Amino acid sequence: MSETGAGRHVPPRDSGHGGRGDDVTREAVLARAFVRLADTLASDFDIVDFLHGLAEDSVEILRAAAAGVMLVDAHGGLRLIASSDERMRLLELFELQGAQGPCLDAFSSGRAVQANAADGRVRWPVFAPQASGAGFQVMCAVPLRVRTDVIGALNLFRGSDEPFTGTEMEIAQAMAEMAAIGLIQERALRERNLLAGQLQAALNSRVIIEQAKGMIAEYLTMTVDEAFKLLRSYARYNNRKLSEVASDVVHRRIPSAALGRPRGQQS
Amino acid sequence: MRDDGRRARIMAAVTEHDTTAGVGELVQRLCRFAVDEMALSGCAVVLMSGAESASVLAGAGRHARTVTGLQMELGEGPCLQAHASGIPVLLPDLSAGNANRWPAFAAAALAVGVHAEFSLPLTVGPGGIGTFDLCRDRPGMLSDEHLADALVAADIARDAVLYQPYTPGGSGLPELLATVGTDRTVIHQATGMIAAQLDDTVANAQARLRAAAYASGRSMYDLAHDVVERRVRFDE
Repeated sequence: MSETGAGRHVPPRDSGHGGRGDDVTREAVLARAFVRLADTLASDFDIVDFLHGLAEDSVEILRAAAAGVMLVDAHGGLRLIASSDERMRLLELFELQGAQGPCLDAFSSGRAVQANAADGRVRWPVFAPQASGAGFQVMCAVPLRVRTDVIGALNLFRGSDEPFTGTEMEIAQAMAEMAAIGLIQERALRERNLLAGQLQAALNSRVIIEQAKGMIAEYLTMTVDEAFKLLRSYARYNNRKLSEVASDVVHRRIPSAALGRPRGQQS
Repeated sequence: MRDDGRRARIMAAVTEHDTTAGVGELVQRLCRFAVDEMALSGCAVVLMSGAESASVLAGAGRHARTVTGLQMELGEGPCLQAHASGIPVLLPDLSAGNANRWPAFAAAALAVGVHAEFSLPLTVGPGGIGTFDLCRDRPGMLSDEHLADALVAADIARDAVLYQPYTPGGSGLPELLATVGTDRTVIHQATGMIAAQLDDTVANAQARLRAAAYASGRSMYDLAHDVVERRVRFDE
């Protein structure tokens, strides 16, 4: 980044136009895009918004006509998650349906791919004519990759026949990798929070089941073992979780007397 | 990162070339490592979601379960604070002024020979799953090096609990939990019985049980036994 000049004057954060020409503007836009790509750990993170942002930023920064992002699903197949416009969305759906195209190649090889209209017709005889028909002459795709893990691909199309330069391909790859790192971190955090929540629920339910046993034993004048049998058969008969029924008993949403009725299936 | 070397060193010390050890064995060795390395009188990995559910998963040293036990009896203490706040609580001298935040705990701990207590939260995002507790039978702060080791050991314990490797024999979360904290079940049962006797909430019932135990100089556990055996009632 260029220096902002001597003195204490601090330009506002959103001033991307430093008056130094296109390169400075593009650098600033790129820097802001990278900040957005790193920002995946917020509590209100939304993966679809995030990938739409990636598609839109890459269109702007790389002077593309359209961009789209595909992610691998739990079964190993690609799914279209975000597109910069409707034309692109239809084309990418077509790419998935026909099982050929730049995104699929970038995903399966883990490498960037690029083709002009003529090359494209050789590589992807079904897909390339569709792309040309939609007005795209240059097609490229880069993998969403972290080291050896490939989790998707970013598709970039141009309407003119000017190919993406080596630098532009590098920038596209860097943006895709940054997005992949952000997504993997977000997934790890979400998984951890889920596991911690399950552990806490398990710890709590143990306490609450014992409390419910004591409460039932007292209300119905029986041993805690007998109370547990009642609690368990009530939960089974009503097809509910033991810990949920225990919680209802402890909070008096189920009167203990109701557990002992014939419908509770006790002998 | 520098801490990668620290983590690798501690992992090497606790796995002892045996990578098949289950989570229970691994956290046990972590406690043993900490006791030996830092000259502690007790170390424990405690899982909890609140004061009532605290369960010692593993411990080493003669004071391994002392600190957790006291806090559950008294309903107060540094581990509960560390868990609730997500911030380590370091008490190098329980006879000093800053331990007065927990007057009952500090007095009881000193009475059984615990003079210093360090409680590190097992944090996960904004919450946590318990604490890594270290205590000593003499006052004094942990050295910087030992504190850094302890923080990394706490992370290892947390990850071991959260990401237990799946083994066909079944050492999953339910199996793990079935083996810990069962010594407190009689207290929870008594709490439920007292709540029924008083027609009150379980939270209030537990407070009554704790207060009655404290006032009579008995342990909650003993008194809870009497309640479950119907030798003691709270509505008379």
